[in-house]
Amino acid sequence: MSIFNVNYLCREILRDHAFRAAMKADPAKALAGKDLTDEERDAMVTGDVGKLFRMGANAFLMNYLARFEVCGLDMMKYNERMRAEKVDEQGRPAA
Amino acid sequence: MAQLVAGFGVPHTPIFPHFVKRDGPDCEIAKLFGAQKNDLAAVRPDIIVMFDTDHLNTFFLDNLPIFAIGVDGSFKAPNDEPRDVPSYVVRSVPDLASHIRSTAVEAGFDLAMVQQFSVDHSITVPLHFLTPDMHIPVIPIFISGHVPPLPSARRCYALGQAVARAIETWPGSQRVAIMGSGSFSLEVGGPRMAPGRTDGVPDPDWCARVIRLLEQQQIDTLMDEATPRQMFKAGNVGGELLNWIAMMGAIGNRKPNYVAPQMQNGHAYGVWRWS
Repeated sequence: MSIFNVNYLCREILRDHAFRAAMKADPAKALAGKDLTDEERDAMVTGDVGKLFRMGANAFLMNYLARFEVCGLDMMKYNERMRAEKVDEQGRPAA
Repeated sequence: MAQLVAGFGVPHTPIFPHFVKRDGPDCEIAKLFGAQKNDLAAVRPDIIVMFDTDHLNTFFLDNLPIFAIGVDGSFKAPNDEPRDVPSYVVRSVPDLASHIRSTAVEAGFDLAMVQQFSVDHSITVPLHFLTPDMHIPVIPIFISGHVPPLPSARRCYALGQAVARAIETWPGSQRVAIMGSGSFSLEVGGPRMAPGRTDGVPDPDWCARVIRLLEQQQIDTLMDEATPRQMFKAGNVGGELLNWIAMMGAIGNRKPNYVAPQMQNGHAYGVWRWS
């Protein structure tokens, strides 16, 4: 269940200012030693928040990627990528 | 015995302090919070008990209670860097908080205890506007309103009733105001955001319905309709309605002085006064 680590690392961008700076400078390097699957790591580094959402990541926490402009994201890019996702009535990823 | 003197329903949008700093005292947000600030001052509370949903800051997915209460002499706020909000230390009332916890546990509500804690914008932003000098101590009660499964609306109402019984059996003469913090329809950071924004209001009809039911004292109907399915249909933080419902449980099903909507944000500002 390393999607927990995706969620955790998103919040660490808020909490840990050194990690925030490292993620802004070079996300691949900042995430190199972290306990993530290759798929999760690749999606984070490329700012593929839609894919992370489908994998079960928490949208509220991923919003920190946009707020602090890491992984090539800003508010507009984040908004466009997330809004492209299909959801069910309760806002979960559509089956 | 300590005495309940008023209920307040408050929004907590983290960017609002920045907007008010930018737009000044005549903007809509400043006026709506300003009216509530006057109502709060008029009821002269000695203590505020606030029902709130933490946004995975005080707690996280590694340890996420459905219900919890802060039991400490003070707490720090905020811990999530909302713009233009200073760092506060908010006083609290650990002996009353401990009494509320004991009373609630006896009544079947297993409140987790939190000590040495900080809180996020969801408590700090309303206090920033309503008690900016932080002269009134605050006891936070946390309800898990974002991460499924949500507790039921009726259980949150009954928790509010248990909290009221605890306050009313507390040997003191303190005047206690109850607050519920949160939105009725809001998606933050999820696919149902509005274009170009960080949030959206997926179900404005539900927001209007909640406000109408509160105005008409139709709390039973509200609890029937406020299912987890409906609350998540209204957005990924739609479960924050539970904080208002717990507040209603504490003060009883009274008629509000007003519930002022801010439909573009999917929330409202509510005041219930009777003394």
